[in-house]
Amino acid sequence: METYDVVVIGGGLLGCFAARNLRRWDLSVALLEAREDVCTGVSRANTAIVYPGYDHKPGTLKTEMTVRANARFDTLCRELDVPFKRCGSLMVGFGAQAEAVLRRKYENGLAAGVPGLRLLSGAEALALEPALAPGVTLALYAPSAGTVNPWALGVAAFENAVDNGAQPWLNTAVRGIRAEGGSYVVGTDRETFSCRALINCAGLSADRVQALFRAPDVRIVPSAGDYLVLDQTAANAPGHIIQYEPEDGGKGLTAVPTVEGSLLLGPSERENETDFATTLPGLDFVRERAGRVLPRLALEETIRSFAAVRPNPQRFDGGSVGGFVIDNPAPGFWSLIGIKTPGLTCADELGRHVAEHAAAYLQAERNMAFSPQRTGIKKAHGMSCEQRRAAIADDPDYGEVLCRCEDITRAEVLQAIRRGAVTVDGIKRRTGATMGRCQGSRCQQRLVQLLAQEGNIPACAVTKDGRGSEILGGGHETV
Amino acid sequence: MKRCELLIVGAGVAGMAAAVAAWDSGCRNLVLADRADRSGGILPQCIHEGFGLSAFGAELTGPDYADRWAAALKRTGVQLLLNTEVLSVTETKTAILSSREGLGELGFERLILATGCRERAVGSLPIAGTRPAGIFTAGQAQALINLRHQSLGRNILILGSGDLGMIMARRFTLEGKRVIAVVEQNDHYGGMARNHHRCIEQYHIPMLYRSTVSEIHGVGRICGVTLTQLDSGRREYISCDTLITAVGLIPERELARGLGDPDWLYLAGNCHRIHQVADSAAAEAEAIGKRIMQEGQR
Ligand SMILES: Cc1cc2nc3c(=O)[nH]c(=O)nc-3n(C[C@H](O)[C@H](O)[C@H](O)COP(=O)(O)OP(=O)(O)OC[C@H]3O[C@@H](n4cnc5c(N)ncnc54)[C@H](O)[C@@H]3O)c2cc1C
Ligand SMILES: Cc1cc2nc3c(=O)[nH]c(=O)nc-3n(C[C@H](O)[C@H](O)[C@H](O)COP(=O)(O)OP(=O)(O)OC[C@H]3O[C@@H](n4cnc5c(N)ncnc54)[C@H](O)[C@@H]3O)c2cc1C
Repeated sequence: METYDVVVIGGGLLGCFAARNLRRWDLSVALLEAREDVCTGVSRANTAIVYPGYDHKPGTLKTEMTVRANARFDTLCRELDVPFKRCGSLMVGFGAQAEAVLRRKYENGLAAGVPGLRLLSGAEALALEPALAPGVTLALYAPSAGTVNPWALGVAAFENAVDNGAQPWLNTAVRGIRAEGGSYVVGTDRETFSCRALINCAGLSADRVQALFRAPDVRIVPSAGDYLVLDQTAANAPGHIIQYEPEDGGKGLTAVPTVEGSLLLGPSERENETDFATTLPGLDFVRERAGRVLPRLALEETIRSFAAVRPNPQRFDGGSVGGFVIDNPAPGFWSLIGIKTPGLTCADELGRHVAEHAAAYLQAERNMAFSPQRTGIKKAHGMSCEQRRAAIADDPDYGEVLCRCEDITRAEVLQAIRRGAVTVDGIKRRTGATMGRCQGSRCQQRLVQLLAQEGNIPACAVTKDGRGSEILGGGHETV
Repeated sequence: MKRCELLIVGAGVAGMAAAVAAWDSGCRNLVLADRADRSGGILPQCIHEGFGLSAFGAELTGPDYADRWAAALKRTGVQLLLNTEVLSVTETKTAILSSREGLGELGFERLILATGCRERAVGSLPIAGTRPAGIFTAGQAQALINLRHQSLGRNILILGSGDLGMIMARRFTLEGKRVIAVVEQNDHYGGMARNHHRCIEQYHIPMLYRSTVSEIHGVGRICGVTLTQLDSGRREYISCDTLITAVGLIPERELARGLGDPDWLYLAGNCHRIHQVADSAAAEAEAIGKRIMQEGQR
């Protein structure tokens, strides 16, 4: 039996930030993740926006957290050494219907204290963002909106949690939870854990994980959405986040100029779909909407499409849930169920929130040794010549470019592996390799070689994204 | 800062041919840089025969053909920098070079980009579904099989019937794998008749014309695709454990981005336009190598 003060279930953004913030207190913390790595679930496929906080009713926990989280985001990203781009957002409408929505959000935002919010005329919006369709009639400009790479942020929180003494348990899936004499006993497919407090951040499975102990009031009804990614060279891409509010009240479209320089477009909305697979109608929808709001955008520069799955919380009577669901089924047990947008924005705030509850419950002292600082992998790209020269002198692996599209060196890839990447996608999440226009067709083999060499395994055992996704030697005998 | 008269980026056939021609025309301060640890570019992985009919009057394999050019290069005094990535080029005619030895700046008077091409990847196609392991571009598969002796899968579907797609269909067959079909959206194969005859007909590989892959299935590893017939719209599930995409080559001109069209910049080989045969890339590059020296004297 492994004994900890607190066990966190799930290594997505929320679990990683919960673990990080729990270590602000003098508590022993275990983070249990079913997969071989962190941030492989909802946290790997989303819109990547750090929201300003005007979308929901003022005065709610969600809105307050969003506004606070947004204001702290520069500090957070500085602490965790993660790139953050406060590029601002323009929510745009093309007629009376949408204008009403924009005005309502503007009022919401003013009441919630969103800084710098302005309503712009069509002409003003076009002056600020010439890529927009000329018919725009009104825009809600939020200079505080920004974008961050979600998995870069999650991995950073994870590393910071572990640096501060949280114990990661990867490849450890929770199978049962029971109370026993003031403690919880958490059964997994490996060790059994005993803890005094339990935080459930199991993402799409959070309702089912809680049901291992006691059924929650809400369940997760997933829906899927499709995205396109355009190359950083795509012509007529916007410099701001664009949120298109269609006149017919239907689903709009978001365009995000990511920190990597690519442009993210999406998502579509497909009810009751649970797998991370795109559909042609979904992708067509994204293209069609993009054409309406960014008519000159070079869609032919698409380099990738992907699907995301939303963990929509729903009451058992079918009613939808607007706020963040932080269930507390028993003393010392908290569940974050169906945290979708803006869960990325609020990940650190939500982590703090549950950590404070747990610390109060366990009457924990502050951990004076806690350090919020984490140092990321030093990136060759963006260095000045002098810096890059020094980096190579220090470590010749910085001289060898492995991923040419994104300018990522062997040194960065090796560090990613030493920091815990065990799959090609794990390297991607830590370095950005394979994210560019060739999508890994040129560097994947080098990554496989390094994973095999560093992990002391044969190349044919290396996977793209966990068990069952072997890259080489692959294919099963057909009968 | 070191300086040279002519910098050539890429030591594939185009880069080597340009270098030899420039040297023979009197250029004596010439640097040829390539990121790879050997010259030849794409050729060492093209182990099939069919190179050099016009340049050498013989049907050589890719590696042999590359060796001929490497030998020609050797008798010149061209400075060959291998394992050297050209990171960027500035308007002020300076290139930044990166290698394990360090970061260098190299000034030049003229620049030939002979950086070859890259393959269009599956992500850029309108194909829905998942993105599991087991999807390779044809050139990637060719390098894995011919240079690294790796096995990729057993039941192979190939999308695209250009020369690369057809050559890889034969290659997989020779490796003892089952090529389920080569899928082509047009009503005719895309590559040369010679390759269709030698790679497809002689090995009885099924061709599916006016068809395309519209969806990819599989969670960890690919397990099948949806094939759509473009005329009837009929859809059909085909199981496979490997998908090879041979859907187009794109000239690699990243280094030229933002430079405009200065009179000191030349593009050669596949970086200029996609050449079906290496001799054609070589001939074009040779002409540029010569012309540069003539222009230099004016
Ligand atoms: C389409 C979409 C777009 C979004 N866009 C934005 C945005 O632009 N801005 C924003 O702020 N937010 C956005 N969000 C919200 C944000 O992405 C999520 O709130 C956040 O990623 C949720 O993280 P998580 O940790 O709950 O989930 P996950 O990342 O899914 O993590 C859950 C983890 O739990 C593990 N797990 C599950 N069951 C078990 C078990 N039994 N034992 C052990 N481990 C288990 C899983 O393997 C997984 O790693 C978006 C969400 C979606 C779906
Ligand atoms: C699979 C296949 C089969 C073929 N079959 C035949 C055939 O049967 N007969 C025939 O005649 N032709 C054939 N061809 C065509 C012929 O091989 C090519 O047209 C020719 O080799 C292209 O040469 P290149 O020098 O332009 O490019 P490449 O050979 O691609 O050379 C480009 C070089 O540039 C280097 N480089 C790029 N960027 C940088 C940088 N930033 N820094 C440093 N170095 C860089 C690369 O490492 C590479 O070595 C085939 C091609 C392929 C792909």
